[in-house]
This record gives sequence, C-alpha cells and structure tokens, in this order.
Amino acid sequence: MKISCNILKKHIKNSEDIDFIKVWDKFTIRTAEVEGIEVRGTQFDGVVTAKILEVKEHPESKKLHILKVDTGNETLQIVCGAPNVRVGLIGACIKVGGHIDDITIGVRPLVGIDSYGMMCSGKELGISDDHNGIIELPDDTPVGVNFKELFPVEDIIVEIDNKSLTHRPDLWGHYGIAREIAAITGHELLPLELNEENPNKEKLKIEINNPESCYRYVGTKLDNITNNVTPMWMQIFLYYAGMRSINLLVDLTNYIMLELGQPMHAFDSRVVQNIEVGFAKENDTYTTLDGQERNLTSEDLMIKNGGKYFAIAGVMGGLDSEIVEDTTSIVLESASFEASTVRKTAIRLGLRTEASSRYEKSLDPNLAIIAANRFIKLLKDENPSMKFGSSITDVYPTIQGENKIALNKDYLYKYMGFNIEDDIVIQILSSLGFKVKNNSKKFDIIVPTYRSTKDISMPADIIEEISRMYGYENFSHIPLKMDMTFGNNEIVYDTEYNVKDYLANKYNFHEVHTYLWNKSTFLKKINVSYDNVKLLGKVEDNILRKDLNLSLLEVSTVNIKNYNEIGIFEIGTVINENENHRQLSILLIKNKENLKDGYYLIKECVYNLFKTFKNIDIKFDLCPAEEYYNKDLTLRIIANNNVIGNISVFNNSITNAISKKKVFICANIDFDKYIELESDKYLYEEVSKYPTTTLDYTIITERGTFYKELENVLDNFKSPIILKRSLIGIYLDGDTKKVTIRYTVGSLEKTLTSEELEDFKKQFIMHIHDNNLNIIEN
Amino acid sequence: MQEKLKDLVARATEEAKNIKNEADYLNIKSKFLGKKSELSELMSSIKLMSTEDKKKFGPLFNKIKNEFEELFSKKLEEAENVNDKLTFDPTLPISEDHGSLHPVTIVGREVTNILKDMGFMIFTGPEMDNEYYNFEALNVPKTHPARDMQDTYWLDNGMLLRTQTSSVQNRAMKKYGAPLRVCAPGRCFRNEDLDASHENTFFQLEGMVIDENISISNLIYTMEGMLKEVFKKDIKVRLRPGFFPFTEPGFELDCSCTICDGKGCSTCKNSGWIELCPCGMIHPNVLEEGGIDSTKYSGFAFGLGLTRLAMMKYKINDIRVLNSGDLRHLEGFNVR
Repeated sequence: MKISCNILKKHIKNSEDIDFIKVWDKFTIRTAEVEGIEVRGTQFDGVVTAKILEVKEHPESKKLHILKVDTGNETLQIVCGAPNVRVGLIGACIKVGGHIDDITIGVRPLVGIDSYGMMCSGKELGISDDHNGIIELPDDTPVGVNFKELFPVEDIIVEIDNKSLTHRPDLWGHYGIAREIAAITGHELLPLELNEENPNKEKLKIEINNPESCYRYVGTKLDNITNNVTPMWMQIFLYYAGMRSINLLVDLTNYIMLELGQPMHAFDSRVVQNIEVGFAKENDTYTTLDGQERNLTSEDLMIKNGGKYFAIAGVMGGLDSEIVEDTTSIVLESASFEASTVRKTAIRLGLRTEASSRYEKSLDPNLAIIAANRFIKLLKDENPSMKFGSSITDVYPTIQGENKIALNKDYLYKYMGFNIEDDIVIQILSSLGFKVKNNSKKFDIIVPTYRSTKDISMPADIIEEISRMYGYENFSHIPLKMDMTFGNNEIVYDTEYNVKDYLANKYNFHEVHTYLWNKSTFLKKINVSYDNVKLLGKVEDNILRKDLNLSLLEVSTVNIKNYNEIGIFEIGTVINENENHRQLSILLIKNKENLKDGYYLIKECVYNLFKTFKNIDIKFDLCPAEEYYNKDLTLRIIANNNVIGNISVFNNSITNAISKKKVFICANIDFDKYIELESDKYLYEEVSKYPTTTLDYTIITERGTFYKELENVLDNFKSPIILKRSLIGIYLDGDTKKVTIRYTVGSLEKTLTSEELEDFKKQFIMHIHDNNLNIIEN
Repeated sequence: MQEKLKDLVARATEEAKNIKNEADYLNIKSKFLGKKSELSELMSSIKLMSTEDKKKFGPLFNKIKNEFEELFSKKLEEAENVNDKLTFDPTLPISEDHGSLHPVTIVGREVTNILKDMGFMIFTGPEMDNEYYNFEALNVPKTHPARDMQDTYWLDNGMLLRTQTSSVQNRAMKKYGAPLRVCAPGRCFRNEDLDASHENTFFQLEGMVIDENISISNLIYTMEGMLKEVFKKDIKVRLRPGFFPFTEPGFELDCSCTICDGKGCSTCKNSGWIELCPCGMIHPNVLEEGGIDSTKYSGFAFGLGLTRLAMMKYKINDIRVLNSGDLRHLEGFNVR
C-alpha cells in the first residue's frame, strides 16, 4: 500500500517537526514493514502557472503553434505542439533556466522560431499519465505562481508491505497510519473534518436480510452535484497512490478508501429504487463492471436494487449503476460486510479488489458512518450548492462495541520480563486511542472499535501494543532459567546425522537434497511412470515420489557430465499409501565394467551401517524387483528377520537414456524402521587360552551357483568347536567354481585332542558330500 | 702392523659400500668383526706383544672395532632408507576423493548442537501433514487471511505439504507437556516460483520454550545468544512487529546481512538486514490447544530459516544451488 506523507501531514498536529524520511525506520520496528521510500516531484523546478493570451499558426509546421503566454511578470513567446492549446487556457509553463529531469531549459528554436520555455503536460511533470496535451488548470487558478507552491507535487511516497498489515484493519488507510506515526513521534492526531448535518428528510429504502454478513449499511442521496472535476491536489495524490483519476465522484470514493480504509460506492441515483442486502440464489449470474458474467452461489452476498442484483457486496459493482457524464445526483453506499464472506467470494471469483482486500481484514462498522460524513464534507467543499436528497439512512442492526480488557500487571511484567512504569503504559495506550484506567494491580482498558473487530481481544494483544511502542530495542536480555531434570530426547535427528556423517566420511559419498516430486520431463525421458498423491493445481512435476532412488537418479543426470564415478545419498521423505516414510537412499554411479566392485561396495556399506550403529548382522536375500530394476541383482536387506530395504541396479534400458557407459547401483533403507531397530548389545567374548587350529577347505560347486546356496549348506553344519568361519577366496575354473573357506576351531576349556580334530574333519567332509558337493582339504 | 691395519680399514670401507640390505650387513659384519675375522686374529695376537705395544695397539684395535660397527650399521641404515625413497614419490598429491555433507545438514547440526547445549531436545514431524497441525492447532481457522500469506501446496488426498515447522508445536506439547524446551529442524514447502532467493522447498528449525515465567526478554536473549554462536561473531539483531496467528506478540527477527556485512546486496535486497526468523510469544490459544494452561505457563517460539542461514554462513548467493544436487556446487562441503 502506498502512503503519501503529504496526506499524513494533514492529520498530524505540528507535523513539520517530523522527519518524514527517517521516521519510517522507527515505523518498521514499531508497526509494520516498509518496502520502499520514494521522493516525488523533485525532478523539476522553475514551473509557474501561465495563461495563454494568443495562439498563432506556425508558418512552417501544421502541428506547432506560436503562443503568447502570460507568466505573471512577463509575457513569453512559446512554440508548442500540443493539440489542446487555446486562448484563455491556464497551464504550467517551465521557463528558461528551469529544470526538468536533469535538462536545463534554454531558448530553443522550433522549426525556425525561438521558444522561451515550454508548456508542460501532466506526464512531463510526473503528476499523471496524460501526455495527450498540456495540463489544463481550473479557470480561477492564479497566474504566475510557482506550481509547487500551489499544488502538492513534492511528496514522499512510502510503500508498506500489505502482508505485514493483515491483522490491522485500522491501517488500511492514511488516517490509521497517521495515528501510528503520531504515537511513535509523540505528536497529536488531528480529528477528521466531517459533515455534521443530517437533514430530517425521507429515509432511503434499505433492508439488510442477512445481518450476520452485513453489519451496517449507510446510504444517502445527494443532489445537485454540478461540479464533477477533481481538485488538482487530489488528482496528484491519487496518481502517486497508484490510481487513475476519473471524475470527482469516483475519485472521492477512492480517496476516502485510501484516507480512511473504508470502501464506498456512488450509484447514479436515477437507477436506485430500494436497496436490499442478502445472499444470491445458487446458480444465478451477474455481470460485473469489468463486463464479465459471473456465476453466483448462495454464499455470495449481493446488493440488490429493485429486486435485481446491483453489486457484489464488498467486491465489485455492475455496469448499470455507474456514474455517467450527466450524473448530478447519487446514492452513496458506505457499508460494512463480514470479512470471510467477502473473502470467500473474492477468492472464488478471482476478483481481489482494493475493496475486498480491505473488507476481508474485518473493518470497523463505525468507520462506515465516519467515511460517509467525510465524503459528504469533501464533496460539499467542491459543490457548495449540493443538497441532501434523503436523510443519512443508517441501518445498523448490531452495534460494534468496544472490547474491554483487564490486564494484570503481574501478567504484563511476566511477559515482558521486567516491570514497566504505569505512566509509560498509560501514555502508550492512550496515544493509540485506548482508554486506560489504572486499578492498582491491573489496568482496565477499553479498546477503540477500530481495533476491536478482531485485532485486540485478550491481554496478550495489549501486551504487544505496549511492547512494540516501548521498543524491542529497549528490552532487557534475560537468560532462561532452567531446572536440571533430564530432558526427554528423541534420537531421530541424531541418528540421521550420524549416518550421513558416516557415509560422507567413511565412504566418500556426497549428500544431496532433492524435491519431493520427480520432474515429469525426467520420468518421461527414462520412461518410468507411477501413480501417487498429487499436488493440486499443477499439471507437471506434481506426483509425490515413492522411491527416493529415482530422485537420486534424477540428479545423476546433472552430475554425469562432470564426474566419472561417484556416490551420492539422501535421507528424505517418500509418500507411500498416503503415509510419510523416511528413506535412506544411496546411489553409486560406476562405469559398466566396474559394476561388480560398485555392487560389493554398496553391499559392504549397507552392512556396516547396521554393524557400526546397531551391532546387527544383517542378511541379504535375492528377491523380485520393481520393473525398472535389474531382476537378477536385487537383494532384500533383512535385519532381525524384517525386510528393511533393498540393494538394486537400475535396468540399462532405463539408464541408457542417461548414459550408455554407466551403471547405477543403489541401496534404499526404510529409515523409520532403521531408527526403531534396537541395537544388539555387544558383550565381551572370552579369548581361548588354548591353541586354536585353522582348517582351510576348497569346495567345488558349479560355476553358476550363488555363494548363498553354499552358505546355506555351511550354515547347516554345526559343531561346538567352531570359533569362526570365513570366506578366503573364490576361483573360477572352467565350469566349476572353487570356494575356499577357513574354519578356526578350538575350545575355551582345553586343547583339542587330535581325535576331536579328526572327528571334526570327517564330519565336515561328510556333510559336504551329503550335499552332493566335492571338497578339497588344503 | 700399522700397514696391515691401514689395509684392513681400506678394505672394510670399500666393502661397506656394498651393503644393500640386512643380509649384506650381517655377512660383512661377520667377515670383519666375526670370531675368525682378521681383526679378531690381530686382537688375539696382542697377548704376544710387548707392554709398550700393548698400550699402543690395544686402544687402537678397540677404536677400529667400534668404527667398523658404526660404519656398517650406518651403511645399512642408509641402504634401507635409500630403498624406501626409491619406491615412491613423496611429492605426489594426495587423493582428493572426499565425501560431503549438504550445507543445510552441517548448519542444522551446528544449530541443534547449540540448542542442545541450551537444554533443548530435538523433535521431528512429517512433511506431508494435515490442516489441523499446520493451521487449526496454530490458531489459524479456515477463513483466516493468514492462510493466503503462505502459498500452500494442497494435495489430492485432502492433506498438505507443511508450510512451516510450527506444525510440530501441537504434537510436542501434547506429547511432553510443560515445561518444554524443544527444537525441530525440518523441510517445508511453499508454492512459489523459483529465483535466486525463492525456493518452494526449504528448511526451517522450529524452536519452542514453555515454562512458568517465560518473557519477551528471554526470547531476545536466547535468539541473540544462539545467533552469536551460530555465526561466531557479534552480529546485529533487531526485532520488528510481525503478525503470525500463532504468536502474540509476534516478531520478525532480522540480522545484519552477512554477505555484505550490512552494506546492501542482492541477497538482502539492499536493505542491509536479512529477515531471518519469525518468532514470538506463543499465542494463549495455541498453548490451550496443546493442552497447556495458558494462565500458568507462557512460552516463545521461533522458526529459524536453516536454508537462509546456510546461505548466509557459506555466502551462497543463489538458493537454487541447494536443491540442485549438482556436486560441483556441493562437494566442497566436507568440513565438520
């Protein structure tokens, strides 16, 4: 929202004492965020009001005219190209020696004839967008006066972040901002000049059918409006505030909205019969001012006139009620609508207007009458002969009261962390319009209605008012006092960190973060599709991921250009069956010839994650896979008899679209389950004091047999003297595979006898033979 | 005799040059110092010498013997060391293969460690969440305009992606009650277009303290203390009023921009300040919704932007780097 300091100054007593550039730093830390400060109107000087005395054709040009212009103390010859030059026009003339946008005006020949200055357009002066002709001032404008003395061209325009005002219905107009500035600087806010007349005339026919959604409707008919020209100061202000000047009646409604925050509407009174406020009938249609036909629902609050829709309450009017050129009589609407009703309709229709954005902040219904009287006052200033065509008709079923709050001083001190003097509290609250009674242990506070609609309803709200005005920079800094009881602790975050640290620092893998969805273009590229929970309102990149491995594959496409072989990982959320799951995913990019090394590395890494952090010996098992994984290379990871993840390799048919030379090996672990796994306690194991013996055997299997099968055979051989079994090596020989294993045998109680050893050997060889395998004793 | 000795020393010196390993050493040692060596024979002949010669040659023999021992072992030492030197090039660079942690992980760890030192426990919450935890429990009813302030990713299953880590507040209160000191780092989502300073996926760290006499002054001290620890310097901090339905009063905490040190740059939009951390006193309604008596307890909460913090700390000027997965940007983060 744009704020004009010129308008603020009108509302603050002795405002000349305030530095309107610096004060916004304070405003930022006391009230709301300032996005920018812009000084306007300083780009020109040397401009005076001037009257055209004579207009002559230029001998050499059809467009140009030679003017004689009265600039007060001298008459100048000016060559001008504007189409609207005429004798008697009073405009703005920049004289020789004046400046505009860093250009110094000099005597300049225009097609052979000297021009001693320039008549300016509104755009050239930066006070409107109009560049169709020179500016035309009212006929009673004095001639030869410095333009800037006559009109408020120089101004400071401040942009305030709307988002920081959502909770403050009182700050959606200049007057509310002026109240804050006055409070911040210790100045006095001036009362508004209002119309005080309410003639005893016939009332307008106004009916509120839904008082829960329309709190107040003020209407009045105003006749004999002959002047519909907006005064220059207001035109300039509206332009600076980002609005277009149209005519006095429209501009005044906008001005009041910007000054007080109250949206209002002026209808041509010729079309107004009786006004009704109520909800629309479902499926009705209505054409708004912008020419668009809108479908209505029974939740849209409407203004009706003579039984027909007339405006969407608080959002936008219609075409048939517009002010037209020959309008001389209006019906003014100044109403208060319930915030969420307006908001819902505005959102549904996609019509977030200046009016709706104010109504949805919960405006003070008392503002409606103030605004109406302010409008009448300002209209009368420009139309002294204006007459009331009705009384000011005020339908106000439920009166907005002032909130009353008792603030215990102890509560206040507890919240602030220190004791604050009563006088300061009273002074701060009074400056913001609160009434305060000091009752020894508490303050009894009456909240003004403009803060009572939603903003301030409980003691904590009052504490904010006191604290911000006291200044957070003036607060004490007090450490927390803690008791020494043990806090609870949850291990999720620490476990995640430890695992990440391990993967980065032991295995030299790199942590990445990826989005909760895969890019559609990526999935298309690798020809993978899946269905899952979707983001609403998006057609691309909108399906939440199920498999974190795919996300890592996606970022591999970025890295493959720059790295040969690399490992990446992430611990992230995936969504499966409408539930959040944490998943750890590791992806190794290897050259195809290094598949085996990579596969074993990732297997070792996964094993160690469980061994190091949980002291759990996990098992791996071949298992079926998602169709985009290699079906022969997928392993289940089994911890304490539960499947907790997989090791897999993306199919070449998928990854060839990314790289034909690389292979992508991955592991994923259900991290929720990983965290819940209880660590196996490590207990000390006694070392045998007696000699142990190592026995090496080479077992011959068919070349294609997985070690796992042999392992099962070995697992089935049990003997009390086995201390350890390990795999020494595998040697491929023709159609066979020779697997060398080593047993360490011994006893904690004694030295084994040679009979016991021989017995072991015999039993073992028999066991192997029983399983139809050949064995060589080394 | 003198001649003999001179010759012996010359031969020993010459042969010592051939010591290339321990075997050579032992051979030569045995040859020149063994029981059957020339020197031994000469030494045993001392018995036959005159007293004068005994005095003259006795010490000389010993001296030569010692010199030999020293010479041989020195040559062996040299040989061994020379061999080592020849097997590899000590000037080769080390392997630069080193893993990395994501900058947000590193910063998150630092901040949580600081908070742990201050007595906070670490809590977590889900990324896909429901309206109750993300809005209702935080005093943001359905029609509240505050829902517009955050462009929420709504899902077709009626849930949403949490817009803020404050979604853990109610869960933590109900699980642990008061008093409570808890922090919860996590990922949040907002439907925003990406540019150098806007991301739709980013990390926050929620912090919350609830006890019997928690004040705004406590909040200021805690935030300032924590940030000084994080940045390891005396950064400037300021509080401004900020509106969040779940706080009262609510603040925006700004700190001086660490990229430009407050001079103004693209990251801080030339203001010199970075909006780092919305915070505030927990709204009484939020306490009550969490089952905590708001007349007895008060508390404060903050939502620290971990993503922003990582950018400030490492002077990353484009937020998109963080979720790019592009290791050219990320592999350098291997410091602990």
